[in-house]
Amino acid sequence: MSARRGAAALTAAAGWAVAAWLLWRTSVPSSVRLPRLDPHAFFGPAQLRAAASFSRVSGALWWGGTATELAALAVFARFGGRCARESAAGPVGTGMLLGMLGFALVWAVELPFGVAGLWWQRRHGIAHTGYLSYLFGDWAALGGEFVFLSFALAIVMGLARRLGRWWWAAAAPAFTALVVLFAFVGPYLLSTHRLGDASLAAAARRLEGRQGVGPVPVVVERVHDATSLPNAETSGLGPSRRIVLWDTLVDGRFGERELEVVVAHEIGHLAHEDIWRQVGWFALFAFPGTLLIGLATRRRGGMGEPAAVPLSLLVLVALQLAALPAQNAISRRIEAAADWSALDATRDPAAATTLFRRFVPTTLDEPSPGLLDYVFRESHPTIMQRLAMVRAWRSRRR
Amino acid sequence: MLSGMEAHRDPHPVRLLVRDDLHRRRLTVFFRLVLAIPHILWVLLWTFLVVFAAVATYLAALVRGRPPAPLHVFLSAYVRYLTHLNAYLWLVADPYPGFSGAGDEYPVDVELPGPAAQSRWAILFRLPLAIPSLLLATALGGGGQVRFFTGSTSRTTFSGGGGALAGTAAVLGWFASLARGAMPKGLRDAGAYSVGYTAQVLAYLLLVTDRYPDSDPTAMLEEVERPPVHPVHLVGDAHDLRRSRVTVLLRLPLSLPHLVWLALWSVVAVLASIANWLVTLVRGRPAEPLHRFLSRFVRYQLHVSAFLYLAANSFPGFAGVEGVYPLDLALPGPERQSRPRTGFRLLLAVPALIVSGALGWGLFVTAVLTWFVALARGRAPWGLRNVAGYALRYSAQTSAYVLLLTDAYPHASPLEGAEPSQLSFDELE
Repeated sequence: MSARRGAAALTAAAGWAVAAWLLWRTSVPSSVRLPRLDPHAFFGPAQLRAAASFSRVSGALWWGGTATELAALAVFARFGGRCARESAAGPVGTGMLLGMLGFALVWAVELPFGVAGLWWQRRHGIAHTGYLSYLFGDWAALGGEFVFLSFALAIVMGLARRLGRWWWAAAAPAFTALVVLFAFVGPYLLSTHRLGDASLAAAARRLEGRQGVGPVPVVVERVHDATSLPNAETSGLGPSRRIVLWDTLVDGRFGERELEVVVAHEIGHLAHEDIWRQVGWFALFAFPGTLLIGLATRRRGGMGEPAAVPLSLLVLVALQLAALPAQNAISRRIEAAADWSALDATRDPAAATTLFRRFVPTTLDEPSPGLLDYVFRESHPTIMQRLAMVRAWRSRRR
Repeated sequence: MLSGMEAHRDPHPVRLLVRDDLHRRRLTVFFRLVLAIPHILWVLLWTFLVVFAAVATYLAALVRGRPPAPLHVFLSAYVRYLTHLNAYLWLVADPYPGFSGAGDEYPVDVELPGPAAQSRWAILFRLPLAIPSLLLATALGGGGQVRFFTGSTSRTTFSGGGGALAGTAAVLGWFASLARGAMPKGLRDAGAYSVGYTAQVLAYLLLVTDRYPDSDPTAMLEEVERPPVHPVHLVGDAHDLRRSRVTVLLRLPLSLPHLVWLALWSVVAVLASIANWLVTLVRGRPAEPLHRFLSRFVRYQLHVSAFLYLAANSFPGFAGVEGVYPLDLALPGPERQSRPRTGFRLLLAVPALIVSGALGWGLFVTAVLTWFVALARGRAPWGLRNVAGYALRYSAQTSAYVLLLTDAYPHASPLEGAEPSQLSFDELE
């Protein structure tokens, strides 16, 4: 029996590794070696000082918030089960209640860090959201999270009560299906408008042709009331696919050629089917993640019992933190491939260099952050890595 | 043990007396507002004088620790007169009231205490202390719409609110009295409760008494005859006033999954009720599976509302199962129903829906007040809980009527039906 189990586990691990290898592949040529660049050659001392100072406090707040969240969940895992007496809802309903209470606790303990972060961003002109608006303006989203959390717990506990210890084998595909659903529906929930810049729209059509992507709407999202950060993203699946540019990107601070690099980068994501790739990675992490949650909660009767819910929240957050370095590494690889595609499509390394250089004063991102921040907090290649890629691309073209 | 029970042993000094026989003269009902004009002018003048008297009483009571007797008599007469006038206006009583506010002259009256010593602190902060009761009195005793303005954009002002209970009961009672020559007991009781509570608030505000107004409808209408038991009524532990502070604090977000589920369930319930309507119309009794399904829906609706509006403590289940929630609903089986009443059910339900809407506003105010108290004390006030119970019971009776679970019309009386063997929501041990 144990030999069969061992063989099954090995087969599953091998399948996991093959899938991971397939998803890990990148369009960046393997021969590309990024040169080491000196930030001082690209940025003035004042810019570097400002970025370092901003990142130091942002990083401290992030670590403080994360540690507090873990501590709060540890306390909740220890004592949260007592709140079960406030329920007349049966095991699944009680589990949902405990889950929501745990989530509310996390929200409450993170609030001071969120407010401090907002204060820091406002101080640097990056955020424009008011404190009251921050505290009370987003109740709908918070309510949506409560609903989603209880829905997720209903799935997990329902499966655990039906399938026993094997609930995770059904839960992982169920959550992956939910991720696909949200990826598809997400763009329809965004309030956007058509891109007004006709020449950029024409450039987008041209770049789509070059990168082998069919026509995809390029839309603009209004965010300038909340932030001055420039950003863009690709979202959606199939007919809901679109490129979303924040209005802070097309407010005149960036030139036409720089914006073309941004659009080409997003088209690169579409060309590489990166949303599906991220879904694939989610599925790969979901299987071992749910299995580990199942194992960790067995001593409390398994995920079918409400008493296991507070502990499962702690395990979930701890696993997310543990997986963060790997997830950031994957994300950086995906972004690097999109950068490479953008360079191939625009053939404009000068514009790419200007764009990346402009990111430092506009986002206050550190061009070359410390190792810990890089591992845990950087989901994109650092500015210096992106500049190095431009240089590598240029040297290959020579 | 419980504040409400203590209150029960020690009745409120401002006591409502109802000797009304429900009979109404159609002529005076028809012209009620016009006939009240002299009183309205008189009360305006009296109110003008009362403002000065109240300020004088306030200052004197602060110094002496008790209101001066002459002013107390004057203010008591004012409270009594206003009670008579309110009762007349809201059709809670029929005779034309006198102008002096003399006691024992009117079928709906109040007993008021004499001038007694009061805590100076309670006198000093009387106005802010009275705010919660004023809010509830507005929801219960005001006439017509309570409006609040949420903002103004592009010259458009949005407003919302709910009809106050007494006004709503009076409007509906006006039609009923004209048609039948008698005020429906449920609407009369609802109006009487509102009038009584308003009198207690006024007496508290004008330093006639330092006892805080008691919103418990059962205590208020203690001497009024209880209606027959309705087939749809509340059951459960009437004294479960404990509230978990954590779940009170997060009551709204914790209710969200239930509200989403209730909305989804409502869609199916509407379809099921249409099918149930057709079946009941043809067979004269509802289809059993549909009746069962809709009973669960109505019960679930009650559980969710009780949780959301803090009438109960526990997080409810999602299936509307009978007997698992501390505040539950007794519902009849699929009994025979009148076909004409079935055919015109929606039309017939309109008055009940209006009363339910008015009570919904009171329920909201009650929930907001309970939220603060429960957060501070870890328990709900007995009076507020019973107001919530009244509103929830009526809402459940209306839903059951609309969804053809019963053809018994909702009873608007704040009093639960009298059946001694039954432990019901507002019965005290």
